Amino acid sequence: MIDLKHLSIAYGETSVVKDVSLHVPEGGSFALVGESGSGKSTILKAIAGQITNWTGRIRLGDHDLQQGRDPALIRLCQMVFQDPFGSLHPRKTVDTILSEPLSIHGLGDQNRRVLETLDAVGLARKFRFRLPHQLSGGQRQRVAIARALMLDPPVMLLDEPTSALDVSVQAEVLNLLKTLREQRGLTYFLVTHDLPVVSFLCDNLGILRQGELVELATVEQLKQQRFSSEYGNELLSKSY
Amino acid sequence: MSLLNIENLRVSFPTEQGPVEVVKGISFELGRERLGIVGESGSGKSMTGRAILRLIDKPGIVTADKMEFDGLDLTTLPNKQMRALRGARISMVMQDPKFSLNPVIRIGDQIAEVLSFHSKLNARQRRARVLESLEAVRITDPERVYKLYPHEVSGGMGQRIMIAMMVILEPDLMIADEPTSALDVSVQAQVLDIMDDLVTRTGMGLIIISHDLNMVARYCDRILVMFNGEIVETCAASELANAKHPYTQGLLASMPTLDEHRNRLPVLDRDQLGSV
Repeated sequence: MIDLKHLSIAYGETSVVKDVSLHVPEGGSFALVGESGSGKSTILKAIAGQITNWTGRIRLGDHDLQQGRDPALIRLCQMVFQDPFGSLHPRKTVDTILSEPLSIHGLGDQNRRVLETLDAVGLARKFRFRLPHQLSGGQRQRVAIARALMLDPPVMLLDEPTSALDVSVQAEVLNLLKTLREQRGLTYFLVTHDLPVVSFLCDNLGILRQGELVELATVEQLKQQRFSSEYGNELLSKSY
Repeated sequence: MSLLNIENLRVSFPTEQGPVEVVKGISFELGRERLGIVGESGSGKSMTGRAILRLIDKPGIVTADKMEFDGLDLTTLPNKQMRALRGARISMVMQDPKFSLNPVIRIGDQIAEVLSFHSKLNARQRRARVLESLEAVRITDPERVYKLYPHEVSGGMGQRIMIAMMVILEPDLMIADEPTSALDVSVQAQVLDIMDDLVTRTGMGLIIISHDLNMVARYCDRILVMFNGEIVETCAASELANAKHPYTQGLLASMPTLDEHRNRLPVLDRDQLGSV
């Protein structure tokens, strides 16, 4: 479903991502882990179309990504951001936030779609006309996930979706993500530095260091704490 | 003798619906040890830390039957003496170096400010001490870092600079409020190791306030678990896995592990906890 071939990204002189190739099958769940500055968010941004000066090939399903604005991409993948306090417009109600993508893409039947998606992410319908500041962190993240689901994209890009949340709220959101993936056959591409979250949510992972893919591993290897690269094991030892 | 002795500490804020108590009568003692205070957002853990330093301003109201630091009564100490205490004998490491360092003052000068306020060293001695303290937090080229501005250093280095600033006067008690939550996992361990090292070497008391149970269990001797402004559980860090209170057990269970085989994570039932 997601296919990266020799992806390289540079900001000016500085090369941030160096020749990364990886493949995520349809319905798979892949995690990219690494320290800050390793280029993991940059790869995510390139797939989401926020960065356009990349070289190599990015393929989503049957669609080859173009450099520059690509309207078809938006129906294919949507992103959930790290900070639910920063990613929702503070002066728009939940209803407006959720129906905006529908209006932009000219989809009808907005009332039914909004209510259905609210149910899907486990938000009570009474929250529909509230503003983000009236919601808790976990509820906001549910709105952000609902917004990403509105256009029914097959691919979800998740940028540290739970690291700003309390552990008990994190459990709720992780459960929700797992359920949604099972129900809708979504493909997840997750960026995180939290290895236990990877163990819960993903099938495969890639370890990134200074822009280079050091290792591609299965979640089984993570569970048994047996990576083949030295750096992978170093990351394991630092995580508790 | 204990370093810090707190009895029945209460913090409340007035609202339109009447006062809301965010810390509801907690008591604890601290020796020369590492104490972890854990809880979720809204549990009152940060307010406890700030109350010790008398950093809660009006309209917040702080009351306590007893709040003693090394024999000094913190509830009645005049502001002037309180200022002399802060930084020199009790210091606080804040969560995010991006917001806690002054963006327009060079790092070296910023650290030196502590010295010019609390000590009688001259400029040359101050500079030497600052370089020394930067080295103590494992910054390899202190001369260069001395001249940098906060935006020119990484998050991990920023946090180490904050710690350098806090330990330069060798306080008796350091309160660290979420010292690593703005940092990467790999840098987290490094920052905590440095703090741990300084605590063991100088024998100061340490309070780590955090929501991260595992981190606290690894770096502290004793743990207080807070929920809704109350201490619901006190235990030795090594005994955390055998916690008795349903809230602590719930928190522990809701964390995914490296070797995760559960299909769904258990979720805290807050309504039920309220009645416990």
